[in-house]
Amino acid sequence: MERSIENIWKEGFLKSDALVAPTINNLYTKKSIHIIDKFKRMFKINLIAIVAFSFIFLIASFFVGIPITGILFFMTLTVLVIINKSLLKGLEKIDKGLSSYQYLKAFNQWIEKQVTINKSFASFMYPIIFLSMVIGFWFKDAEGIPLGKRLISEVLKGFPDIYLIYGIPLIAIIAVLLIASLLAIFGGKIYQWDLYLVYGRVFKKLKELMADIEELKN
Amino acid sequence: MSNDFYKTSIIPYSGIIIKLCRAYTNSQEDFEDYFQEVCLQIWRSKENFREESEWSTWVYRISLNVCLTLLKKKKKNRQHFVSDSITTEETEDNYAFSDESLNLLYDAIRKLSEIDRAIIMLYLEEKSYQEIADIMGTNSNNIGVRVKRIKTKLKKILDGKIN
Repeated sequence: MERSIENIWKEGFLKSDALVAPTINNLYTKKSIHIIDKFKRMFKINLIAIVAFSFIFLIASFFVGIPITGILFFMTLTVLVIINKSLLKGLEKIDKGLSSYQYLKAFNQWIEKQVTINKSFASFMYPIIFLSMVIGFWFKDAEGIPLGKRLISEVLKGFPDIYLIYGIPLIAIIAVLLIASLLAIFGGKIYQWDLYLVYGRVFKKLKELMADIEELKN
Repeated sequence: MSNDFYKTSIIPYSGIIIKLCRAYTNSQEDFEDYFQEVCLQIWRSKENFREESEWSTWVYRISLNVCLTLLKKKKKNRQHFVSDSITTEETEDNYAFSDESLNLLYDAIRKLSEIDRAIIMLYLEEKSYQEIADIMGTNSNNIGVRVKRIKTKLKKILDGKIN
Protein backbone atom coordinates (compact mmCIF):
# COMPACT_ATOMS: atom_id res chain seq x y z
CA MET A 1 0.00 0.00 0.00
CA GLU A 2 1.27 3.47 -0.86
CA ARG A 3 2.35 5.48 2.20
CA SER A 4 1.30 9.06 2.67
CA ILE A 5 3.98 11.68 3.22
CA GLU A 6 2.67 12.13 6.76
CA ASN A 7 3.31 8.44 7.47
CA ILE A 8 6.72 8.44 5.84
CA TRP A 9 7.60 11.40 8.07
CA LYS A 10 6.30 9.91 11.30
CA GLU A 11 7.64 6.41 10.78
CA GLY A 12 10.97 7.59 9.39
CA PHE A 13 11.76 9.48 12.56
CA LEU A 14 10.88 6.59 14.83
CA LYS A 15 14.20 4.98 13.89
CA SER A 16 16.96 5.76 16.34
CA ASP A 17 19.50 7.22 13.91
CA ALA A 18 17.19 9.85 12.48
CA LEU A 19 17.36 12.44 15.22
CA VAL A 20 20.88 12.31 16.57
CA ALA A 21 21.97 15.82 17.51
CA PRO A 22 25.52 16.73 16.59
CA THR A 23 27.77 17.76 19.45
CA ILE A 24 28.40 21.44 19.89
CA ASN A 25 32.12 21.68 20.26
CA ASN A 26 34.01 23.78 17.83
CA LEU A 27 31.52 26.49 16.99
CA TYR A 28 33.43 29.22 18.80
CA THR A 29 36.74 28.09 17.35
CA LYS A 30 35.27 28.24 13.85
CA LYS A 31 33.73 31.65 14.49
CA SER A 32 36.94 33.04 16.01
CA ILE A 33 39.04 31.87 13.08
CA HIS A 34 36.44 33.20 10.65
CA ILE A 35 36.37 36.68 12.23
CA ILE A 36 40.13 36.96 12.43
CA ASP A 37 40.60 35.66 8.88
CA LYS A 38 38.12 38.27 7.72
CA PHE A 39 40.05 40.98 9.52
CA LYS A 40 43.35 39.75 8.01
CA ARG A 41 41.83 39.83 4.51
CA MET A 42 40.52 43.36 5.02
CA PHE A 43 43.81 44.49 6.53
CA LYS A 44 45.82 43.13 3.57
CA ILE A 45 43.42 44.72 1.05
CA ASN A 46 43.74 48.00 2.92
CA LEU A 47 47.54 47.89 2.73
CA ILE A 48 47.45 47.07 -0.98
CA ALA A 49 45.04 49.97 -1.53
CA ILE A 50 47.41 52.36 0.32
CA VAL A 51 50.38 51.20 -1.79
CA ALA A 52 48.37 51.57 -5.02
CA PHE A 53 47.08 55.00 -4.01
CA SER A 54 50.53 56.30 -3.02
CA PHE A 55 51.96 55.19 -6.40
CA ILE A 56 49.12 56.79 -8.34
CA PHE A 57 49.42 59.97 -6.30
CA LEU A 58 53.20 60.06 -6.83
CA ILE A 59 52.81 59.83 -10.61
CA ALA A 60 49.91 62.29 -10.67
CA SER A 61 51.85 64.80 -8.55
CA PHE A 62 54.52 65.11 -11.27
CA PHE A 63 51.86 65.83 -13.88
CA VAL A 64 50.09 68.36 -11.67
CA GLY A 65 53.39 70.06 -10.81
CA ILE A 66 53.51 69.25 -7.08
CA PRO A 67 56.21 66.52 -7.03
CA ILE A 68 57.37 67.49 -3.52
CA THR A 69 53.88 66.66 -2.19
CA GLY A 70 53.86 63.40 -4.16
CA ILE A 71 57.30 62.32 -2.91
CA LEU A 72 56.63 63.21 0.75
CA PHE A 73 53.21 61.58 0.56
CA PHE A 74 54.72 58.46 -0.99
CA MET A 75 57.49 58.25 1.61
CA THR A 76 55.08 58.71 4.53
CA LEU A 77 52.65 56.09 3.25
CA THR A 78 55.53 53.70 2.51
CA VAL A 79 56.65 53.94 6.14
CA LEU A 80 53.03 53.35 7.21
CA VAL A 81 52.80 50.23 5.02
CA ILE A 82 56.17 48.89 6.24
CA ILE A 83 55.14 49.32 9.88
CA ASN A 84 51.80 47.60 9.32
CA LYS A 85 53.35 44.85 7.22
CA SER A 86 55.64 43.97 10.11
CA LEU A 87 52.66 44.15 12.50
CA LEU A 88 50.80 41.75 10.23
CA LYS A 89 53.63 39.23 10.59
CA GLY A 90 52.92 39.23 14.32
CA LEU A 91 49.28 38.49 13.61
CA GLU A 92 50.21 35.54 11.39
CA LYS A 93 52.20 34.11 14.28
CA ILE A 94 49.13 33.69 16.51
CA ASP A 95 48.64 29.96 16.90
CA LYS A 96 45.34 28.75 15.47
CA GLY A 97 45.62 25.72 17.71
CA LEU A 98 44.91 27.84 20.79
CA SER A 99 41.49 27.62 22.40
CA SER A 100 39.03 30.07 20.86
CA TYR A 101 39.14 32.32 23.92
CA GLN A 102 42.95 32.41 24.01
CA TYR A 103 42.98 32.94 20.25
CA LEU A 104 40.63 35.90 20.51
CA LYS A 105 42.57 37.29 23.47
CA ALA A 106 45.82 37.06 21.51
CA PHE A 107 44.15 38.79 18.59
CA ASN A 108 42.77 41.49 20.87
CA GLN A 109 46.22 42.11 22.29
CA TRP A 110 47.58 42.38 18.77
CA ILE A 111 44.85 44.89 17.88
CA GLU A 112 45.68 46.99 20.96
CA LYS A 113 49.38 47.00 20.05
CA GLN A 114 48.56 47.84 16.44
CA VAL A 115 46.26 50.70 17.45
CA THR A 116 48.85 52.16 19.88
CA ILE A 117 51.63 52.11 17.27
CA ASN A 118 49.42 53.50 14.49
CA LYS A 119 47.99 56.19 16.75
CA SER A 120 51.49 57.45 17.55
CA PHE A 121 52.42 57.28 13.89
CA ALA A 122 49.25 59.15 12.92
CA SER A 123 50.34 62.07 15.12
CA PHE A 124 53.27 62.53 12.74
CA MET A 125 51.65 61.33 9.54
CA TYR A 126 48.74 63.78 9.32
CA PRO A 127 50.87 66.89 9.96
CA ILE A 128 53.50 65.63 7.48
CA ILE A 129 50.83 65.07 4.83
CA PHE A 130 49.44 68.55 5.46
CA LEU A 131 52.88 70.18 5.35
CA SER A 132 53.76 68.23 2.19
CA MET A 133 50.66 69.74 0.56
CA VAL A 134 51.61 73.25 1.69
CA ILE A 135 55.24 72.89 0.55
CA GLY A 136 54.20 71.19 -2.70
CA PHE A 137 51.84 74.00 -3.66
CA TRP A 138 54.30 76.64 -2.41
CA PHE A 139 56.91 75.48 -4.93
CA LYS A 140 54.44 74.74 -7.72
CA ASP A 141 55.51 76.57 -10.84
CA ALA A 142 53.27 79.52 -11.66
CA GLU A 143 54.46 81.07 -14.90
CA GLY A 144 58.15 80.93 -14.06
CA ILE A 145 58.03 81.68 -10.32
CA PRO A 146 56.91 79.49 -7.37
CA LEU A 147 53.20 79.78 -6.56
CA GLY A 148 53.98 80.74 -2.94
CA LYS A 149 56.10 83.74 -3.92
CA ARG A 150 53.54 84.83 -6.44
CA LEU A 151 50.83 84.60 -3.81
CA ILE A 152 52.85 86.69 -1.34
CA SER A 153 53.51 89.41 -3.90
CA GLU A 154 49.77 89.55 -4.54
CA VAL A 155 49.07 89.75 -0.78
CA LEU A 156 51.70 92.47 -0.33
CA LYS A 157 49.95 94.57 -2.96
CA GLY A 158 46.81 94.57 -0.82
CA PHE A 159 48.53 94.60 2.63
CA PRO A 160 51.95 96.27 2.26
CA ASP A 161 52.41 96.54 6.07
CA ILE A 162 52.04 92.83 6.74
CA TYR A 163 54.76 91.39 8.99
CA LEU A 164 57.08 88.96 7.19
CA ILE A 165 59.54 86.36 8.48
CA TYR A 166 62.02 85.23 5.81
CA GLY A 167 59.66 86.68 3.24
CA ILE A 168 56.62 84.75 4.47
CA PRO A 169 53.68 86.47 6.23
CA LEU A 170 53.70 85.71 9.96
CA ILE A 171 49.95 85.09 9.91
CA ALA A 172 50.42 82.36 7.27
CA ILE A 173 53.18 80.72 9.33
CA ILE A 174 50.97 80.78 12.42
CA ALA A 175 48.01 79.32 10.50
CA VAL A 176 50.10 76.49 9.05
CA LEU A 177 51.69 75.69 12.41
CA LEU A 178 48.32 75.80 14.13
CA ILE A 179 46.74 73.37 11.66
CA ALA A 180 49.80 71.08 11.83
CA SER A 181 49.67 71.13 15.64
CA LEU A 182 45.94 70.34 15.67
CA LEU A 183 46.57 67.45 13.28
CA ALA A 184 49.35 66.20 15.56
CA ILE A 185 47.10 66.44 18.62
CA PHE A 186 44.06 64.85 16.98
CA GLY A 187 45.98 62.51 14.64
CA GLY A 188 45.41 59.57 16.96
CA LYS A 189 41.69 60.29 17.19
CA ILE A 190 41.41 60.67 13.40
CA TYR A 191 43.18 57.34 12.98
CA GLN A 192 40.84 55.66 15.48
CA TRP A 193 37.78 57.10 13.73
CA ASP A 194 39.13 55.87 10.38
CA LEU A 195 39.88 52.45 11.87
CA TYR A 196 36.35 52.00 13.24
CA LEU A 197 34.88 53.19 9.97
CA VAL A 198 36.64 50.36 8.13
CA TYR A 199 36.78 47.60 10.73
CA GLY A 200 33.98 48.63 13.11
CA ARG A 201 31.72 45.67 12.27
CA VAL A 202 34.53 43.15 12.73
CA PHE A 203 35.43 44.67 16.10
CA LYS A 204 31.79 44.57 17.18
CA LYS A 205 31.52 40.88 16.30
CA LEU A 206 34.76 40.19 18.09
CA LYS A 207 33.50 41.92 21.22
CA GLU A 208 30.21 39.97 21.15
CA LEU A 209 32.03 36.69 20.67
CA MET A 210 34.41 37.36 23.55
CA ALA A 211 31.48 38.35 25.77
CA ASP A 212 29.73 35.08 24.85
CA ILE A 213 32.76 32.98 25.65
CA GLU A 214 33.40 34.86 28.88
CA GLU A 215 29.79 34.26 29.95
CA LEU A 216 30.26 30.61 29.09
CA LYS A 217 33.35 30.38 31.24
CA ASN A 218 31.66 31.93 34.28
CA MET B 1 26.08 28.26 26.22
CA SER B 2 25.58 26.57 29.56
CA ASN B 3 25.12 22.84 29.75
CA ASP B 4 21.89 23.29 31.69
CA PHE B 5 20.35 25.48 29.04
CA TYR B 6 21.41 23.03 26.35
CA LYS B 7 19.93 20.08 28.24
CA THR B 8 16.65 21.70 29.25
CA SER B 9 15.84 24.12 26.47
CA ILE B 10 17.47 22.70 23.38
CA ILE B 11 17.83 18.93 23.62
CA PRO B 12 14.06 18.33 24.13
CA TYR B 13 13.42 20.35 20.97
CA SER B 14 16.44 19.18 19.01
CA GLY B 15 14.15 17.01 16.87
CA ILE B 16 12.58 20.08 15.31
CA ILE B 17 15.95 21.73 14.79
CA ILE B 18 17.48 18.63 13.24
CA LYS B 19 14.55 18.11 10.86
CA LEU B 20 14.63 21.70 9.74
CA CYS B 21 18.40 21.93 9.34
CA ARG B 22 18.36 18.73 7.29
CA ALA B 23 15.79 20.26 4.93
CA TYR B 24 18.03 23.24 4.20
CA THR B 25 21.36 21.45 3.86
CA ASN B 26 22.87 18.85 1.58
CA SER B 27 25.84 17.65 3.55
CA GLN B 28 26.64 16.50 7.07
CA GLU B 29 29.16 19.33 7.47
CA ASP B 30 26.62 22.00 6.52
CA PHE B 31 24.01 20.33 8.70
CA GLU B 32 26.31 20.49 11.74
CA ASP B 33 27.14 24.14 11.05
CA TYR B 34 23.46 25.05 10.73
CA PHE B 35 22.55 23.08 13.84
CA GLN B 36 25.26 24.76 15.91
CA GLU B 37 24.36 28.20 14.67
CA VAL B 38 20.67 27.62 15.46
CA CYS B 39 21.53 26.48 18.99
CA LEU B 40 23.73 29.52 19.51
CA GLN B 41 21.05 31.90 18.29
CA ILE B 42 18.41 30.25 20.48
CA TRP B 43 20.69 30.73 23.46
CA ARG B 44 21.45 34.33 22.50
CA SER B 45 17.82 35.27 22.04
CA LYS B 46 16.52 33.48 25.13
CA GLU B 47 16.09 36.83 26.87
CA ASN B 48 13.69 37.94 24.15
CA PHE B 49 11.28 35.04 24.71
CA ARG B 50 8.10 36.63 26.08
CA GLU B 51 6.11 33.41 26.59
CA GLU B 52 3.48 34.69 24.17
CA SER B 53 3.90 31.45 22.25
CA GLU B 54 5.15 27.98 23.13
CA TRP B 55 8.89 27.54 23.51
CA SER B 56 8.79 25.01 20.65
CA THR B 57 7.22 27.63 18.35
CA TRP B 58 9.90 30.10 19.40
CA VAL B 59 12.57 27.49 18.69
CA TYR B 60 11.01 26.79 15.31
CA ARG B 61 10.90 30.46 14.43
CA ILE B 62 14.56 31.01 15.29
CA SER B 63 15.62 27.81 13.53
CA LEU B 64 13.78 28.84 10.40
CA ASN B 65 15.20 32.36 10.40
CA VAL B 66 18.74 31.12 10.97
CA CYS B 67 18.45 28.48 8.23
CA LEU B 68 17.08 31.00 5.74
CA THR B 69 19.79 33.54 6.65
CA LEU B 70 22.57 30.97 6.32
CA LEU B 71 21.14 29.74 3.03
CA LYS B 72 21.05 33.31 1.72
CA LYS B 73 24.64 33.86 2.84
CA LYS B 74 25.70 30.64 1.16
CA LYS B 75 24.02 31.62 -2.10
CA LYS B 76 25.62 35.05 -1.96
CA ASN B 77 29.05 33.51 -1.41
CA ARG B 78 28.52 31.13 -4.28
CA GLN B 79 27.56 34.01 -6.57
CA HIS B 80 30.63 35.88 -5.39
CA PHE B 81 32.86 32.92 -6.23
CA VAL B 82 31.23 32.40 -9.61
CA SER B 83 31.69 36.07 -10.47
CA ASP B 84 35.35 35.63 -9.52
CA SER B 85 35.51 32.80 -12.09
CA ILE B 86 36.30 30.21 -9.48
CA THR B 87 34.28 27.12 -10.08
CA THR B 88 32.63 25.75 -7.03
CA GLU B 89 30.53 22.67 -6.74
CA GLU B 90 27.96 21.98 -4.11
CA THR B 91 29.49 19.42 -1.80
CA GLU B 92 27.07 16.64 -1.13
CA ASP B 93 28.11 13.78 1.04
CA ASN B 94 24.84 11.96 0.52
CA TYR B 95 23.90 11.92 4.17
CA ALA B 96 21.25 9.26 4.50
CA PHE B 97 18.77 8.13 7.11
CA SER B 98 18.37 4.38 7.40
CA ASP B 99 14.77 4.78 6.20
CA GLU B 100 14.88 4.97 2.41
CA SER B 101 11.42 6.51 2.09
CA LEU B 102 12.43 9.29 4.47
CA ASN B 103 15.51 9.95 2.35
CA LEU B 104 13.35 10.24 -0.76
CA LEU B 105 10.92 12.51 1.03
CA TYR B 106 13.78 14.77 2.22
CA ASP B 107 15.20 14.92 -1.30
CA ALA B 108 11.77 15.95 -2.54
CA ILE B 109 11.39 18.59 0.20
CA ARG B 110 14.79 20.07 -0.71
CA LYS B 111 13.46 20.59 -4.23
CA LEU B 112 10.75 22.93 -2.95
CA SER B 113 11.15 26.66 -2.57
CA GLU B 114 12.54 27.89 0.77
CA ILE B 115 9.14 29.04 2.03
CA ASP B 116 7.33 25.90 0.86
CA ARG B 117 9.94 23.85 2.70
CA ALA B 118 9.20 25.73 5.90
CA ILE B 119 5.44 25.34 5.52
CA ILE B 120 5.50 21.62 4.82
CA MET B 121 7.90 20.99 7.69
CA LEU B 122 5.55 22.78 10.08
CA TYR B 123 2.62 20.86 8.65
CA LEU B 124 4.44 17.54 9.05
CA GLU B 125 5.25 18.55 12.63
CA GLU B 126 1.48 18.68 13.12
CA LYS B 127 1.29 22.42 13.69
CA SER B 128 -2.19 23.80 13.07
CA TYR B 129 -2.78 26.02 10.04
CA GLN B 130 -3.22 28.91 12.43
CA GLU B 131 0.13 28.25 14.13
CA ILE B 132 1.83 27.96 10.74
CA ALA B 133 0.17 31.17 9.64
CA ASP B 134 1.39 32.92 12.81
CA ILE B 135 4.93 31.76 12.26
CA MET B 136 4.93 32.60 8.57
CA GLY B 137 3.05 35.87 8.98
CA THR B 138 0.07 35.06 6.78
CA ASN B 139 -3.52 33.79 7.26
CA SER B 140 -4.64 30.24 7.86
CA ASN B 141 -6.72 30.00 4.64
CA ASN B 142 -3.67 30.79 2.63
CA ILE B 143 -1.70 28.12 4.46
CA GLY B 144 -4.44 25.53 3.84
CA VAL B 145 -4.35 26.14 0.09
CA ARG B 146 -0.57 26.23 0.04
CA VAL B 147 -0.21 22.96 1.99
CA LYS B 148 -2.48 21.18 -0.49
CA ARG B 149 -0.45 22.51 -3.39
CA ILE B 150 2.87 21.54 -1.77
CA LYS B 151 1.63 18.03 -1.01
CA THR B 152 0.62 17.57 -4.66
CA LYS B 153 4.03 18.84 -5.73
CA LEU B 154 5.78 16.48 -3.33
CA LYS B 155 3.71 13.56 -4.49
CA LYS B 156 4.64 14.27 -8.09
CA ILE B 157 8.34 14.46 -7.25
CA LEU B 158 8.13 11.24 -5.20
CA ASP B 159 6.16 9.40 -7.91
CA GLY B 160 8.75 10.46 -10.46
CA LYS B 161 11.53 9.09 -8.27
CA ILE B 162 9.82 5.86 -7.38
CA ASN B 163 8.81 5.16 -10.97
